[in-house]
Amino acid sequence: MSVSVPEPNSSLRQVAKPGRFGATSATPLVIMERMLSLVQVQTRKGRDSDVQAAILAGFNLELPAAQRAATSATMTAIWIQPGMWMLSAAGHAEGAMARAIKDATGDAASIVDQTHGKTVLTLSGAKARDVMARGCRLDLHPRAFMPGHSAVTQVAHIGCMLRQFDEIPSYEMLVPSSFAETFFGWLTHSAAEFGYEIKPRA
Amino acid sequence: MSHRLASGGRIDRAKRLQFQFDGRSFTGHAGDTLASALIANGVRLVGRSFKYHRPRGILTAGAEEPNALVGLRDGARREANMPMPAIELFDGLTAQSQNRWPSLDFDVLSINAKLARFMPAGFYYKTFMWPASFWEKFYEPMIRRAAGLGEASRDPDPDHYDAVHAHCDVLVVGSGAAGLSAARAAGEAGARVILCEQDFELGGGLLLDPRHEAWRADMIAALGAMPEVTIMPRSTVFGYYDHNVLGVIERVADHLPTPPQHVARQRYWTIRAREVVLATGAYERLIAFPENDTPGVMLAGAALSYVRRFAAAPGRRAVLFTNNDEAYDTAFAFLESGIDVAAIVDVRPVSARAETARLRGLNVLSGSVVAGVSGGKSVERVSVTKRNGSAPDIFSVDLLCMSGGHNPAIHLASQSQAKMEWSDAIASFVPGASKQRENSAGAARGSFGIPIAAREGAATGAAAATAAGFGAAVGFTLPDAETSPRTPIEAFWEVKAEGKSFIDFQNDVTGDDIRLAHREGYSHIEHAKRYTTHTMATDQGKSGGLVGAALLAEARGETIPAVGVPTYRPFVTPITYGAIVGHAVGADFNPIRRTALHDWHLRNGATMMEAGLWMRPAFYAQAHEKGDIWAPILREAKAVRQAVGICDVSTLGKIDVQGRDAAMFLDRLYTNTFSTLAVGKARYGLMLREDGIVFDDGTTSRIADDRFFMTTTTGNAARVLEHMEFYAQTIWPELDVQFCTISDQWAGMSIAGPQSRKTIEKIVQGLDLGNEAVPFMGVADATVANCPVRVFRISFSGELAYEIATPAGYAEPVWEAVLAAGKEFGITPYGLEALGLLRIEKGHVAGPELGGHTTARDLGLERMIKKRGDYIGRVLAERPGLADPDRPRLVGLRPVDSSKPARAGGHLIETPGSSQSLGWVTSSNQSVELGGWIALAMLSRAEHWMGKRLYAAFPLRKEMVEVEVTHPHHVDHENVRVRT
Repeated sequence: MSVSVPEPNSSLRQVAKPGRFGATSATPLVIMERMLSLVQVQTRKGRDSDVQAAILAGFNLELPAAQRAATSATMTAIWIQPGMWMLSAAGHAEGAMARAIKDATGDAASIVDQTHGKTVLTLSGAKARDVMARGCRLDLHPRAFMPGHSAVTQVAHIGCMLRQFDEIPSYEMLVPSSFAETFFGWLTHSAAEFGYEIKPRA
Repeated sequence: MSHRLASGGRIDRAKRLQFQFDGRSFTGHAGDTLASALIANGVRLVGRSFKYHRPRGILTAGAEEPNALVGLRDGARREANMPMPAIELFDGLTAQSQNRWPSLDFDVLSINAKLARFMPAGFYYKTFMWPASFWEKFYEPMIRRAAGLGEASRDPDPDHYDAVHAHCDVLVVGSGAAGLSAARAAGEAGARVILCEQDFELGGGLLLDPRHEAWRADMIAALGAMPEVTIMPRSTVFGYYDHNVLGVIERVADHLPTPPQHVARQRYWTIRAREVVLATGAYERLIAFPENDTPGVMLAGAALSYVRRFAAAPGRRAVLFTNNDEAYDTAFAFLESGIDVAAIVDVRPVSARAETARLRGLNVLSGSVVAGVSGGKSVERVSVTKRNGSAPDIFSVDLLCMSGGHNPAIHLASQSQAKMEWSDAIASFVPGASKQRENSAGAARGSFGIPIAAREGAATGAAAATAAGFGAAVGFTLPDAETSPRTPIEAFWEVKAEGKSFIDFQNDVTGDDIRLAHREGYSHIEHAKRYTTHTMATDQGKSGGLVGAALLAEARGETIPAVGVPTYRPFVTPITYGAIVGHAVGADFNPIRRTALHDWHLRNGATMMEAGLWMRPAFYAQAHEKGDIWAPILREAKAVRQAVGICDVSTLGKIDVQGRDAAMFLDRLYTNTFSTLAVGKARYGLMLREDGIVFDDGTTSRIADDRFFMTTTTGNAARVLEHMEFYAQTIWPELDVQFCTISDQWAGMSIAGPQSRKTIEKIVQGLDLGNEAVPFMGVADATVANCPVRVFRISFSGELAYEIATPAGYAEPVWEAVLAAGKEFGITPYGLEALGLLRIEKGHVAGPELGGHTTARDLGLERMIKKRGDYIGRVLAERPGLADPDRPRLVGLRPVDSSKPARAGGHLIETPGSSQSLGWVTSSNQSVELGGWIALAMLSRAEHWMGKRLYAAFPLRKEMVEVEVTHPHHVDHENVRVRT
């Protein structure tokens, strides 16, 4: 008899309580923790094109160039460094996505499951840029950073994989899960002036 | 009697604001500053000077104010040394004068002024030198009590501050005619523009000239309509750094009694600009003459500001003392406002403006100077003589306005490394060639007057936009050029007359002090600055700095450009510490790392402690153990030795190493061999730095032929990964190896003690835990409570032990399952303190022994060094000094009287009183196995001393403990238990 793996605990379960917080606003920022499977893909020496082809064939996803993110119907990839990407997708059982990618890439890539290693947060709203400016040194002005752009940078002194995924603007941030509570504290503190809503983890 | 003019000004007369100064209540208006409101209430005396406690009044109308510094607000929000002219009035404001006791009007230490002749520059150095022993106990405390302006609150700051990053194509500093034009020109070109203005109103000098109000309003409206132009009022650009990075403080809520909820009091902006336009205007210079610091002596431009902008009369009857045409505007404004002008004293023999003034009925005394002022706490009489000397004319007035010319505000340009150049035309320095991507415009580069400033601003703004990649053309109207003739300024610094002529009001420096410095050999401008404290105050000599340089030049018989002025440094204007610190206070000082079991620890009575950025349980005290810190530590350690304990070891660094050459890479990284390790086995590894010193250790397991699960110490996790990346990328790029940190992906828990196998056997599914199936250093995957786990049979405590790693999201259910299974054996959670105790008992090295000064042999780990094959650190580890057999080696210590600790840090000596150290104590703790205290130490000629006695001396605490030298393994020397 197979027994299912329990739902993993969130590193934010003590602090991320759904509700409205901060200043009153008709259009509060929206903060949400995402439950995604995360898999880091790193090509082995000289195998870049094999990995690109395998991911395209297996998941219909074209791995993005430097400082970009790419999305297919079910999966997103963020460029991290030459030959390295972070892939994310919803709806996979524990370990299943990493296994599927390993099966597809074989010995062409080193695959590491990071589902528990990173906490994924999204920040969305007209004032999202102002919030990000309080911890992120990058120029996120629409002329410089737009949907589909990504960066590996520090936000609030914490290493962060960042991508913009729409023009509202909305940002997705992957931070080490041991830092997630600290990061969340900075994020909500910085958003309080504009008012924010925490949505249930999904 | 009110000094508020009946009409005019930019104040909102309908909006009255109550405020208090030194406990007295006053009324002002919205749009006032504290300075203008006090002037409108007829208040003259606002402070006492720093050294001589001389009475002082308001000198300027800006943040450069050297005299009128107050303590602002009460309680936790009290701030010292706030310049009154930069304090925007709000309802309920309270301020206190400084540097006076018992009151501003009667101040005991003003006796210093009488003693002034005995307190010249360098007084403290000369007087308080002997006897030397008096310095620390007597002189310094005495001077410190007398010195210092104001007193800061000692309570925690109740406000919060934000740090914000911004980027733009063109940053414009200053919003006068030049700044507004520059911003609009750049904005119309399509550039992203930020316009910073330190005042709460935009306009700079435009605010003093009603004729230009329509143009000002039009410019602001136009800028406001441009989506890519950001206007930041109340924002001081305080520093110009490399790569066009500028620092800005935005005073978001200082004009309110308290910041609104959720809003920062101030924001610290770091602005990265492609191009910078410095339209920072100019500061007016004072003139040195006897008693020029008497309340009622004011800079002419400041008086103009109080009359025109704030409708506040700084006096009823005035003398104006000038060497330039610009200052005449003040006299004309006085005429319009009904303030008597007794005389205009112009050092120049002729001037075009003097003729204009005479035509308007004003009494102009050309070729004359102010020879002195009398009145003490307020100007009463001004004496005026011809420059070549004559019987003085005495004028009974209550206001003396002075203008020695204007210094372009070149501080930011200077910080950007642009050299200063002397301009005879304005008798001041102007910015020279740019070093960074910046240009000055308007008064900031010595072009005085609104029309020319507007033209320069427009051209500079357009050029900046072009340089940033935008096509620029100025499509807006500019104020008409001036046509009235002007006579140039005559450089004039000091009236040569007997008396105290101040050149630095904030630090009480006189012209004579500069000459004294020169006579005593401190003739370099930087030496004279430090000897006299001239320009060392927070105003950095904005009003009198150049005057001091001119007097030094005169004393040296050289030109002013040959002498120069001291280096300008950030901060151009003082800023609040809280804003620099920003969010990083208290618990937010550093990011905090929490393990997946953090909440469990808190719920279960853990006392947490910091380990780097991590928070870890130190111990879990039970209710009856309150007050006895050792009780929980010994109880937890005993449980491990006698039954079973469980410890959160998630903080250990974990690195996933993969690739065809992963094993070969590890062979080179570690001093021992990993390519021979079988899949499903772990091995203890030791790595050295390049210099042969031990770097880190940990167990690394082979998961597959091409994949290892590596662990590092908690503290070195990031450093080890960097070290590996460095070698993989630069030294051995041919190796196929990839790394990924998995420290946060995997939670880890150590289950240690004789009952550990019996405990986890009950819950580990899909794995036989028998000694043959999973021997010591065996590794296998399984499940616990349906969660995936990886079981490692490794031990830090020296007991039979397992580590269970699980993806972090399952840490709590797995931990709880182990606890439930171990309940019948008395399983006990243990913290970092017990962990430390256990490893010291076992003689395992950790941070105190791996401190960057020990070799493998020093630590008794020579068996970890492979005989063949290269590895990082091999060559330099063979240096004679590191290979010396007499180097201190790891030993154990047992105090002869085991109730006495051999404190860590103590030195090992042969006999009491010996000053020859044979080694030192690294780690000390109580032993649950042996009872009493034990320790680890590094000891020279360790084998010679084995079994003998030494003394562990800790002179700082006057401790001397006799110890016996033993093997470091206080427990289970044969290492049987881990294999059972």
